[in-house]
Amino acid sequence: MIVADALHKKFARPGARRKEAPLIAVESVSFSAQDGAVTGLLGPNGAGKSTTLRMLATLIAPDGGRAEIDGLDVNRDVLAVRRRIGFMPHDAGIYPRLSARENIHYYARLCGLDGRTARARVGELVERLGMDGFADRRAAGFSQGQRTKVALARALVHRPGTIMLDEPTNGLDVMATRSLRKIIRDLADEGHCILFSSHVMQEVSALCDTIAIIADGRVAMVDSLQGILERTGESDLEDAFVRATGAGS
Amino acid sequence: MSSLLVAAKEIVDNIRDRQTLFYALLFGPILLPLLLGGSLVASFKQVSIDFDEVTDLAVDSAERAPNLMAFLRTYNIDITEAPGDIQKAVRQGEVPVVLSIAESYGDALRDGRPAPLTVHVDESEKSSSKAARRISALLDVHERTLGALRLQHRGIDPALFDGLDVTTNDVSSDGAGGQLLASLLPFMFIMSMVMGGFYLAIDTTAGERERRSLEPLLTLPLPRVQVVFGKFLATLSFVTLSALLTALSIWALFSLFPIELMGGQVRFDGATIGRAVSLASPLAPFISALLIAIAAWTRSTKEAQTYLGLMMVLPMAPFFVLQFLSISPSWSSVSVPMLGQYLLLEQSTLGEAIPRMHILLSVAGTAFATGLLLWLACRLYAEERVLG
Repeated sequence: MIVADALHKKFARPGARRKEAPLIAVESVSFSAQDGAVTGLLGPNGAGKSTTLRMLATLIAPDGGRAEIDGLDVNRDVLAVRRRIGFMPHDAGIYPRLSARENIHYYARLCGLDGRTARARVGELVERLGMDGFADRRAAGFSQGQRTKVALARALVHRPGTIMLDEPTNGLDVMATRSLRKIIRDLADEGHCILFSSHVMQEVSALCDTIAIIADGRVAMVDSLQGILERTGESDLEDAFVRATGAGS
Repeated sequence: MSSLLVAAKEIVDNIRDRQTLFYALLFGPILLPLLLGGSLVASFKQVSIDFDEVTDLAVDSAERAPNLMAFLRTYNIDITEAPGDIQKAVRQGEVPVVLSIAESYGDALRDGRPAPLTVHVDESEKSSSKAARRISALLDVHERTLGALRLQHRGIDPALFDGLDVTTNDVSSDGAGGQLLASLLPFMFIMSMVMGGFYLAIDTTAGERERRSLEPLLTLPLPRVQVVFGKFLATLSFVTLSALLTALSIWALFSLFPIELMGGQVRFDGATIGRAVSLASPLAPFISALLIAIAAWTRSTKEAQTYLGLMMVLPMAPFFVLQFLSISPSWSSVSVPMLGQYLLLEQSTLGEAIPRMHILLSVAGTAFATGLLLWLACRLYAEERVLG
């Protein structure tokens, strides 16, 4: 379970002098994501989705506010939080000279699994994510879909309760997207807390139990799809999104 | 434990990279010693004259100077018949030099006049000029003997003509050539260490960030210090391997082509190279830490290559500085990483005794600098900018 409370993050502008005002990436983000459910962070590019996920994944420290994973503070109990999360960044970021299996195995060992357990777990994930055809090939020539599967397997290898995915369907074709959607749904049904970011309305409306609409570094609305449509008085998510963020006015 | 896993993965990963392997296994260990050491050995062989070696000398009209021929034979020179066209034969390298004895040689000798001889040489050809120098040196000896005999014959002490009696006493155990070779040894070691770890260090730090694989790695439940240490260990193993292979190929090169410098006091044998390896060993962790720290600080592999490319000057700096400035080993100079090893390796190769304190200080100074660089790399990895 994830609880974010008024998260705030600013960066120095690249190439800026010291006196210039910093870039505020996240103004104030508050929401919670339950176990056994898929929560979507929906927002346009530059809304602060990735920065929010990076703070929750302990990669960067918030400048204000706080966040907890299963009751553990992301700022203080860093290692304990990392044991409970699986994070898949925007780019798959897999090692091109290692095979799919080696990529996953490396993460398994780093998460503390011994050699035998790691091998068994990798085999399990290869089967579950349908990677049999390419598991022992080097990753250099993988398609985007294959890369995403390897990255997802890596994020799942230590059986984390909370899974965070940053734009996982980016660059995937229809079939790959559908299969990924099914995997995410299954994981939520098994009791995992899933948080994923996207700027694709369809994606979010098809998959999410709860949607947090985020724009300009603020959460504009958090509710179920039904709730958002009712509160904005719109009939589809796109119109509701425009109304909620005030972008259309 | 985790750092060993990181190191093992980086090693496997980089063994699959041809560029890294080329620089670690071929450039430093094989190309460098062959290019530098090989050409030096070759030039030594060409320049230095071995007076004990039996060689042929083509002489035109040898029968005109039987005493001279007898003298030359005592100095391991075999007299052979000169070719027909002397100029052409020397120019085309059929014979290195030809000594021709003029018709008036015998008469001039008997009359107490200078007896004419001609040495035909091709100065543009190293083997020809080397042979000519040997002959000239022998002719000088013969000339001095003749001169002395003529003076004594006339009742004059030959020593009268020696205004000065200059003795050059070379106190070094070798000549300048040995000095150059001795300073080349640390240069080759340091250069191959830097080249050996160069690409692995870039690939595992700046490269990892550029491939975007650093971000998920840093969300794993392990302290970032372990990640840095793993990358350091991987670099260290390549640097060490490169240094050992370089030692092996230098040893092989000099056992195949042994050169004796000034009475055989300077030898590049197993013992010399073993000493050099152990004196240079503190540099392996130092260079690894330096490479990791710089590569971690840069924002991209391109930037890392630029900065580390500039760093290539570093192993050369002490080499050139020591050619121009004479810095003698002292407590302060041996404590400086690289410079200290240069001085110690040079001394050890020249067979000079090294004070124990100097060895201790060089190890301590280099270890301290290594620790500082590792701490710096860990600090960089703790910062958010490491994600790029």
